[in-house]
Amino acid sequence: MLNTHDLSPLVRRWSKHADLSDEDRGAILALPFTRKSFGKDAYIVREGQETTDCSLILKGFAYRQKLLRDGCRQIISFHIPSEFVDLQNGVLGMADHNVQSLNRCEMAMVPRSALMDLVNARSTVRLAMWVDTLIDASIFREWVVNVGRRDSRSRLAHLLCELAFRLERIGADKGGAFDFPLTQEQLADATGLTAVHTNRTLQSLRRDGLIQLTSGNLSVLDWKGLREAGDFDELYLHHQL
Amino acid sequence: MKRGGNNVASQDHPLGYLLRQLELYCDLPPEDRQLVLELPHRLRRLDAASYLVREGDKPTNCMVLASGYAFRQKVTGKGSRQILAVCIPGDAVDLQNMFLDVSDHSVQLLTQARVADVPREALQKLVLSRPAIGTAIIQLTLVEASILREWVVNVGRRDARERIAHILCEFAVRLESRGLTGDQGFELPMTQEQLADATGLTSVHVNRVLKGLEADGLISRKRRHIHYDNWRALQDAGDFSRRYLHISDHDTLAQSY
Repeated sequence: MLNTHDLSPLVRRWSKHADLSDEDRGAILALPFTRKSFGKDAYIVREGQETTDCSLILKGFAYRQKLLRDGCRQIISFHIPSEFVDLQNGVLGMADHNVQSLNRCEMAMVPRSALMDLVNARSTVRLAMWVDTLIDASIFREWVVNVGRRDSRSRLAHLLCELAFRLERIGADKGGAFDFPLTQEQLADATGLTAVHTNRTLQSLRRDGLIQLTSGNLSVLDWKGLREAGDFDELYLHHQL
Repeated sequence: MKRGGNNVASQDHPLGYLLRQLELYCDLPPEDRQLVLELPHRLRRLDAASYLVREGDKPTNCMVLASGYAFRQKVTGKGSRQILAVCIPGDAVDLQNMFLDVSDHSVQLLTQARVADVPREALQKLVLSRPAIGTAIIQLTLVEASILREWVVNVGRRDARERIAHILCEFAVRLESRGLTGDQGFELPMTQEQLADATGLTSVHVNRVLKGLEADGLISRKRRHIHYDNWRALQDAGDFSRRYLHISDHDTLAQSY
């Protein structure tokens, strides 16, 4: 079931990070991989696991999370098609957090050794991979701010802005509307809130005419208003997503 | 983890701690070690609270802390500050700006410091031409990202006591890994207000938590000097596991405290 074109979203993404030559693009498309399907909420990577593959999302959403000893969960990031969910593990060799599918996911599992051989042989590809992880880090910084110093309304509005912005960048919007398979519990775990508080806050964003959120779909009705509510400035996404 | 590989001379060099940090992640051949120490740089002595980088800047230099401490921060639209990381000697405070053109946060000094300004192009060239140095620097930025993930968890889902205990543990392990350990604990050059901004708490709350940790015999404090009286219990209080720091599993602090 190998289809080289499956990796073309990755080529598009990495081309924004570095000046890839035709040979570089060809080498990325030639990466070996196996397709793997994951059902909803399946574990793709577990904390402590040694890395053999790096997982690229072809279809569906995934999220990174860490579990605390008392069973509380903190979601650390969401991932959409064309993104690797565990690129850093390729270099570091060991997972320091869990990755789960959010809905049904199609993944391209790229052997770690093949990816490392590619980036070791081609310095521009290596740079592109690195920029990818640097942008990840910038997003983590913004999330620390979000859970650390914003109120609940800003936190949720900020998260919705980020996801809408990133989905739009990969062309996944349908005129301001997006597939949005996140549950309120997951939104709560990503923003450090309770599910009840999340529910109340989402209702207020709806009431104020900023968003429409129905089962599995998000529509941004007032982009400027949502940005303001979320204190959102896309600088941290570095225009390269 | 490589340890004690540097001679004393390289610790006195403004880029000595940077080299030591790189060698935590990757064995560098002697030529590469020499190339790191030979990076062109200009040394500045700056006062506490000076800004090294401001959000939105397009830095032309990469700044390495030769001595002293700094922190990364962002300010929200409403004026609240969140501290994102504490930088210790040897940290390159804006390594990401080597390849990301605009700084997405600010860096400010906590203490008086000596800062080595390395031209961005010189570092880029070294990283792209020397695979071992490139790998070491990539690992270093990935570990920074791992620490950020842990901070999201810390402010998102831990209670106040856990947050403060966690940040104290992290600070100790990072200093120790760079050979900056004192016999009697560490100088933590942060005010209670700054600790509050790093943990998403109020300074009143931080004060109460520090007193509690002291009353329970986990730490003792003398001004900004923190002694770790019960290292194991402090790690437990902070729900701290060193895995996310990606350095040696061997807990040498357990022998000291």
